[in-house]
Amino acid sequence: MGKRKLSLFSLLNGAFLILFSMSMLYPFLYILIYSLNDGKDSMLGALYFYPRQFTLDNYAQVFHNPKIWQAYRITIMRTLLGTILHVSLCTLMAYALSKKTLPGRTFFTFYIFLPTIFSAGFIPYFITLQKLHLVNTFWVYIIPMLFSFFHIVIIRTFLQGIPEELEESARIDGYGDFQIFLRVILPLSGPVLATISLFNGVAHWNDWFTGTYFVSDKSLIPVQTLLQQMLTEAEALSSSMQRAAQQGGQTMNNNVAGATPESLRMALLVITVFPILCIYPFLQRYFVKGVMMGSVKG
Amino acid sequence: MTAHPLVKRIWRHKLFYLFMLPGIVWFFLFSYVPLFGIQVAFRDFRFSGGFSGSPWAGLKYFHQFFGYYQAWELIRNTILISAMKLSVGFTMPIVLAILLNEVRNLRFKKVVQTLSYLPYFVSWVVVVTLMQRLLTPYGGPVNDFLRGTGLIQEPITFLNNTTWFYQVILGSDVWKNIGWNSIIYMAAIAGIDQQLYEAARIDGAGRFRQMWHVTLPGIRNIAVILFILATGSLMSAGYEQLLLLNGPATAAIGSVLDVHVINSGISEGRLSYAAAVGLFQSVIALVLIVTVNRVARKISDVSLF
Repeated sequence: MGKRKLSLFSLLNGAFLILFSMSMLYPFLYILIYSLNDGKDSMLGALYFYPRQFTLDNYAQVFHNPKIWQAYRITIMRTLLGTILHVSLCTLMAYALSKKTLPGRTFFTFYIFLPTIFSAGFIPYFITLQKLHLVNTFWVYIIPMLFSFFHIVIIRTFLQGIPEELEESARIDGYGDFQIFLRVILPLSGPVLATISLFNGVAHWNDWFTGTYFVSDKSLIPVQTLLQQMLTEAEALSSSMQRAAQQGGQTMNNNVAGATPESLRMALLVITVFPILCIYPFLQRYFVKGVMMGSVKG
Repeated sequence: MTAHPLVKRIWRHKLFYLFMLPGIVWFFLFSYVPLFGIQVAFRDFRFSGGFSGSPWAGLKYFHQFFGYYQAWELIRNTILISAMKLSVGFTMPIVLAILLNEVRNLRFKKVVQTLSYLPYFVSWVVVVTLMQRLLTPYGGPVNDFLRGTGLIQEPITFLNNTTWFYQVILGSDVWKNIGWNSIIYMAAIAGIDQQLYEAARIDGAGRFRQMWHVTLPGIRNIAVILFILATGSLMSAGYEQLLLLNGPATAAIGSVLDVHVINSGISEGRLSYAAAVGLFQSVIALVLIVTVNRVARKISDVSLF
C-alpha cells in the first residue's frame, strides 16, 4: 500500500513541475512567436504555439532603426567595461580581506558591511551623483556599480578555501605577494569570477532605471530604457490599434500586412533577452555554487 | 630606531592596503557621503549650498509628509504589498525546493531547475512587457484561451484594474523570483545528513513525515536568516516593479513610498521633502530588522548579527 501512495505522489509532483516549467518558459516562447508573425495578423489574436504568417519584417525594421543600434552599443559597452572593472576591483579587495594576518581586517569588513543595513536612501544618493558630476554622463552606468558588499564576500569566501600551502610553496620559490596573486590565486578562481561576472553583467544589461532617471542625453540611453519608454508610450497606441483591428477583422488581415508598434516592441524585447538566454546555461553550474557560497556567513 | 611591531606588520601588508584602496574610497563616496547627506531632510536643500550649506528647515518636510492627505494611504499600501510579498514570496520557494527534492530523475530535476530561474535573469521592464502582451484583453493569449474554453464570456482587463492589481503584483513577483530564491534551500536540503532520512524510514516514517520531521527542520536556520533579511524591506515594496505596473487607474491601492520618493524627488525636484520620506522609510526598516533579529535570537538561537 505504501508503495502505491508514493508513486501517486511522484506522478502528481511530476505533473505539477511540468506545468510549472511551462509557465516559466511559455511567455518567452509566445513573445518569440509574436515577433516572428506578421504584426497586423497578430492583432487578431488566437496566436499560441507557432507563427501564423511567418515574417522577419519586424526584426528588419527594428535593426533598421539607428536609435536601437545606438542603444545597443551603449548597453554592450557598459556591460563589458562595467563588468571587467567590477570583477577586477572586487577581487582585489576580497583578496586583501581574505588575509587573516591583515591588520584592520575586521574593521574594513565592517566598514563595507554597515551600508547594507542602513542606507541613506535614494535622494542623498542622487544628490551625491549630481555633485560628482556623474549624472548625464556615460560613467553614471559604470562607477556607481563598481563594488558590491555581497560580491566581495562571495569572492573572499572562495579565496579562503584555497589551501595556504600553495601560497607558501610559491613564496619559497621566490614569488612576491603580487606574483602569488597573479600566478597562483587568479588561475584557481575561475568559477567564482565567472559567477560574479554573470551577476554583474546581467545587472548591467538589465538596468533601465539609471538610463531613465539619471540620463537625459538621448544618445546615452541603453536598450532597457528604450524598452521602458516604449512600454509607457506604446501602450495606449497599440491597444487602440488592436481594438480597431479586431472590429475590422478579416478584411484588414487580407489587405494590409506589416509591422505594428506592438510587433516591433516584441522584436526589440526578444533581442534584449536573447544574449542572456545564450550565456546563462553555460554559467549555471557556477552560479548555483556561487549562491551557496554567498550563504556562508562572512 | 626600531619600528613598532604593528607598524611593521602593516608595512608588510602594504600591497593589500593598495588592493583595498579603490574599495575604501568607493564605499566612502557612494555609501558614507550619502549618509552624511541625510541632513538634507532637515534642510531647505539648494544645489549651490550642498549637503551642509543649505539653511536648516527643522522638521518642516516631515510635517509636510504626514500632513499630506495621502500619506497614510502610501504607508498602508507599502506595508500591505510588501507583507503579501513577504508571506507568499517567502514560502513558495521553500515549497518548490521540497517538491524538487522529491524528484528522483536527475535530468528532469535539472531541467525544471534551469527553467525556474530563467525569469530572474530578465529585467522588470521585460517582465512587465511580457505581462502586458500576455494579459491584454485585445488578442492576448490568456484571454483568448479563457474565452476559447468557455471559462469567461468577456475578456478580463488584468492590468490597470484595481480588482486584479494585487494578484498581478504578487504573481509576477513570485514568477520572477521563485526559482532563484529556492536555490539556497536546495543547497540546505542537499546538506542534510542522509542517515537522518534512513533513521526516519526505519522508524516507519513515510514520505510526508520525512519531509515534516527531517527536511523542514534541516532548512529552518537558513529560512530564519532569510526571513530576517526580508523584513528589512517591509517599508519598500519594490520600486522597479511598481514604477512600471502602477498607473492612474490603480493609484489608490498601488501608490507606495519608494515610488513617491522617486517621483516627488526626481520628477518634481522636491529633494528635501523626498529625502524626509526616504529617511522615514530607512529608519523604520532599521528598527524592523533589529527587532526581528532580536526576536529570532530569543526563540530560535539563529540571528544575523
